[in-house]
Amino acid sequence: MGISRRELVKLATASGIALSFSRAALAESLAFDTRETLPGNHNWNPAATGAGRIDGPAKVTGTKLYASDFRAADLPGWPSNTSHALLIRATDATHVFTGVDLSRLSGALKPSRVVTAADLTGAGIRVPAFFEGDLFCPTGKTPLYLGQPLVMLIFEQFDAFDQARLALRSSPCVTYGDETGPVAIAPYGSHRFVRIAGPMPEAPDVYSPVLAGWTVPRSFANGDIPVWAPPDLNGPADAQATYYGEQIRAELATVNPGLLVLDRDFETQSVDPMFLEPESGLGWYNAGAKTLELVLGMQSPYEAAEALAYMLGDTRTPFKPAHVKTLFAYMGGGFGGRDHSIMPLYIALAAMFFPDRPVRLAINRYEQFQSGIKRHAFKIHTRMGIDRATGKIRGFAADHVLDGGGLANYSNTVSTVGAIGALGIYEVPKVDIATTAVHSRGVTAGSMRGYGTLQSMTALEVLIDEAAAALSLDPIEFRRRNALNSGGRIVTGNTYIVAIRTPELLDKIENHTIWQQRAQERARGQQDGILVGTGVACATKNYGGGADCSQSAVEIDAQGRIAIHSDHVDMGNGIGTALANRVAAHLGGVADDVTVHDIDAYGPLGLVTSGNSYTMEQATQDAVAKNPRWVPAISAATFASNGAHVGTQAAAEAARVIFRFGLWPAALDLWGLTPSHPTAKQWEAARWKDGNLLMPGLAPLALPAIAAKAHARHDVTGAMAHAFSRWGWSRASFLIAGQTWSADIDALAVRKGGGPYACLDRSSVKFPPTANNRSGPVYTGACASLVRVEIARDTGFLRIAKAYSVLECGNALVPEIVVGQAQGGFAMGVGYALLESLPLYEDGPGNGKWNLGQYVVARATDLPLNGIEIEVLPPLQPSDPPKGMAEVAMIPIVPAILNAIYDAAGHRFQSLPVTQAMIKGVLS
Amino acid sequence: MTKMSVTINGKSYGPFDVRDELSMNDFLREYLGLTGTKFGCGLAQCLSCAVIVDSPDGTSQTSPTCVVPAINFAGKSIRTVEGHAQNGQLSVLQKAFVEHFSFQCGYCTPGFLNEGQVLLERLAKTPVARAELDTTIRDALNGHLCRCTGYVKYHEAMRDVILADPNRYLS
Repeated sequence: MGISRRELVKLATASGIALSFSRAALAESLAFDTRETLPGNHNWNPAATGAGRIDGPAKVTGTKLYASDFRAADLPGWPSNTSHALLIRATDATHVFTGVDLSRLSGALKPSRVVTAADLTGAGIRVPAFFEGDLFCPTGKTPLYLGQPLVMLIFEQFDAFDQARLALRSSPCVTYGDETGPVAIAPYGSHRFVRIAGPMPEAPDVYSPVLAGWTVPRSFANGDIPVWAPPDLNGPADAQATYYGEQIRAELATVNPGLLVLDRDFETQSVDPMFLEPESGLGWYNAGAKTLELVLGMQSPYEAAEALAYMLGDTRTPFKPAHVKTLFAYMGGGFGGRDHSIMPLYIALAAMFFPDRPVRLAINRYEQFQSGIKRHAFKIHTRMGIDRATGKIRGFAADHVLDGGGLANYSNTVSTVGAIGALGIYEVPKVDIATTAVHSRGVTAGSMRGYGTLQSMTALEVLIDEAAAALSLDPIEFRRRNALNSGGRIVTGNTYIVAIRTPELLDKIENHTIWQQRAQERARGQQDGILVGTGVACATKNYGGGADCSQSAVEIDAQGRIAIHSDHVDMGNGIGTALANRVAAHLGGVADDVTVHDIDAYGPLGLVTSGNSYTMEQATQDAVAKNPRWVPAISAATFASNGAHVGTQAAAEAARVIFRFGLWPAALDLWGLTPSHPTAKQWEAARWKDGNLLMPGLAPLALPAIAAKAHARHDVTGAMAHAFSRWGWSRASFLIAGQTWSADIDALAVRKGGGPYACLDRSSVKFPPTANNRSGPVYTGACASLVRVEIARDTGFLRIAKAYSVLECGNALVPEIVVGQAQGGFAMGVGYALLESLPLYEDGPGNGKWNLGQYVVARATDLPLNGIEIEVLPPLQPSDPPKGMAEVAMIPIVPAILNAIYDAAGHRFQSLPVTQAMIKGVLS
Repeated sequence: MTKMSVTINGKSYGPFDVRDELSMNDFLREYLGLTGTKFGCGLAQCLSCAVIVDSPDGTSQTSPTCVVPAINFAGKSIRTVEGHAQNGQLSVLQKAFVEHFSFQCGYCTPGFLNEGQVLLERLAKTPVARAELDTTIRDALNGHLCRCTGYVKYHEAMRDVILADPNRYLS
């Protein structure tokens, strides 16, 4: 984050590298982006009639879409042969790595090139800060983590590569020496979130992170135990945090007959996102032209390009590209696991160390388990105090420790998001949550669906159920009593700025037949000799990450065909169709052409940035904002359920500009109305229906006619916009056609007729204040779930009989995709609750021996396909923006299952997964 | 090395000299550039790699390609996802998967299409009772993993295709 494209280019250019992410050179075969553009080659755009996803025809016909589909011969201008690279990885992280014996790879199996740590040092390869750690473990060092690459082998021919990997699989070649134990590294991050509410709900907080800043430890003891500032009510902010936090814990520890205090430990397991397409990529370094071209599949394309520029920015000839060109493909799933993956670095290295010959680095499923980003184990210790008389939660203290694995990746922010989300849907007046992400020798952990809140809210919702039972309160009523209302504050001390619809969700689950019939279903089960239980849970999850960006270009041609470019990424989430639908609301037609993962189509905006948008001071921002091209950040990952809310923002605003300054004036002309006619100002009253623009009292106008007129008049027919959100959108004004136009964007360029884009200087801009960085999330969406389970007494076998989830996501841009995401989230939740688990260290996937079969994910037979009901609440207003929902749809499933198991079997499990053997164990 | 030829989507390929241990998946994707057939696990657990094998007796089954050597397919006739659409027209099942929003990332879709197509062809010859339909679909598709969708819309699409032509598929 925090490096502009301009600075990126400057940085790279200072080192002699130019960057572009543009289309590959056009040749007779289709350019990469054209092939990818959907519906592109196909004659049917199902999204045009709401009959399917815009990428539907391509995906059902086996079109080359994914990074793993492409070979050198597919890329215009590339040499046709693909070479293949293989990474040899550490399966031991407690002994010194002494070398690799490749003697069995002789003759035709001999690699054409072996790349080692020494080669990287000799070439001047730098490691980007986000990926700090040796890219290859040097000999003489203990590997930092299981799965750490040791050497790279490159084979000119596929057959040699294939035979070599088979030979090495059956007979490993790595040698180790002295035992050192695992490498010790300081924790990746630690924070303490303390909030003391004022005496009344409306009163200011006595203490909160928003008021005082975020608290970090002064030091660590014994390597990874945070040492907080000594408590001092009158001392600096962190000392006050300790003072108030210790006060909360002391109150919870004091015997008080009026307060029910529950003190519980909860542990979650290490899991793998298990997206179906293992990671891969292609690279070609044209040594003569000094051009490096890459094909990648990433959730974070801009950051991947940044990392590559840094890695190669100080290399020595002949490892110095003058130009790096990255092409981004669709992905076969992501779930967070392709966000800031380290793979692109190795793909680029393969190309750089094997010049003039395209190289493919593709890991198989064993290697994906061995190296792909995990969500590692959480240890959660919680104390919660509830007033017995009122059923209100008075105090909450928790300690989280999460295993971040071998590299830092995102574990620090996962720990903070998990901590901030640890109160779920509730408001509690006294809260103290300490969280630490530690290094271990496990496979690297990072982002994965839920981002820490899946873990913290599962522990919470199980505890909530236990509290309700202990107080003899209905579990839904208990939730209702403690739910945060609109205007209520979360642990960071801020409020949500979106509607809180938890009460509606709780009402829905309370009135649902699954809940209403739970007693009679239990009785039925008893008669049939099975244990039947019903469980409930409710969760809320932020969408957006606090420095969200959206770049889009929208164009309409003279025939009324619409094209959209977006820098957001489709990994199955349907951003392409969502973009098309959101733009259609303004332009009256669904796009014929949507290009996603396009981070380089916005040159006319001329964006620059500087500093770090998360940490900059307000005065700094105010000063640099005077540059009409400056924005706090240019592009960001598709993550944190931000596709609908963030990813479509710039396209929506671009479409509004086209309508207001292109289609609307053209429509007035077609109606024979002058710009001074009273109707001319009523553009917001216009409505689209079946491709026709409707205004009361005027003839309907078809989109193609309006578009043709707009082109003929040389009105605005294309717009390009950038939007930034730091828990609130930037807002800027622009002069267009003599009028001041204000919108939630910070950069705008327009084209008229078929002309070029012209960037418009903003006449004013208000960026979200930097103080928002102290805030926790302000955007949230909620989901409540009911699950009924049936457990066989003798075997402990659990069957999910029925389930119901109700969620709210504002305006659902593609309702079928929202339901599909919720169904997929249900399946993933079942897997997380009951099936999926990985040992952390030597017995785990870092040993290179794990695959499906050992790692169990939910199949159709694990799910009640005819018994899953998903309800999506309609938006409060038709004009409500969309909310992110892909993560929240998964979270309540997990605790609902655990609570159902308790209801059936009388045992409250405090760890995941809950297996059949565990259930059978408690039943016997 | 073994010399092999194979018919794929009605087109003859070969003869090729092929290593005995070369997987059919690699043969399709690396040798022939037919990347519609995907690689997911390499252990026949996910079946993203499944293709249709048409037997001379008129029956068809799916087969994984990730763990089966290419030479096992020598002389055989197979269908991949690239062969379902004819003359630019999607098959009934392809269209149903699109219209039902059955997939999300789409990586598992070729395997589901092949399996679903085999099921349709089997039911056309040996219809099942309506009461057995859900179980029949579940049993046919259960070998296929999907991580995005939770399977519901795949099953709905299959069911609706069958129920749209009950005389053909149901007894």
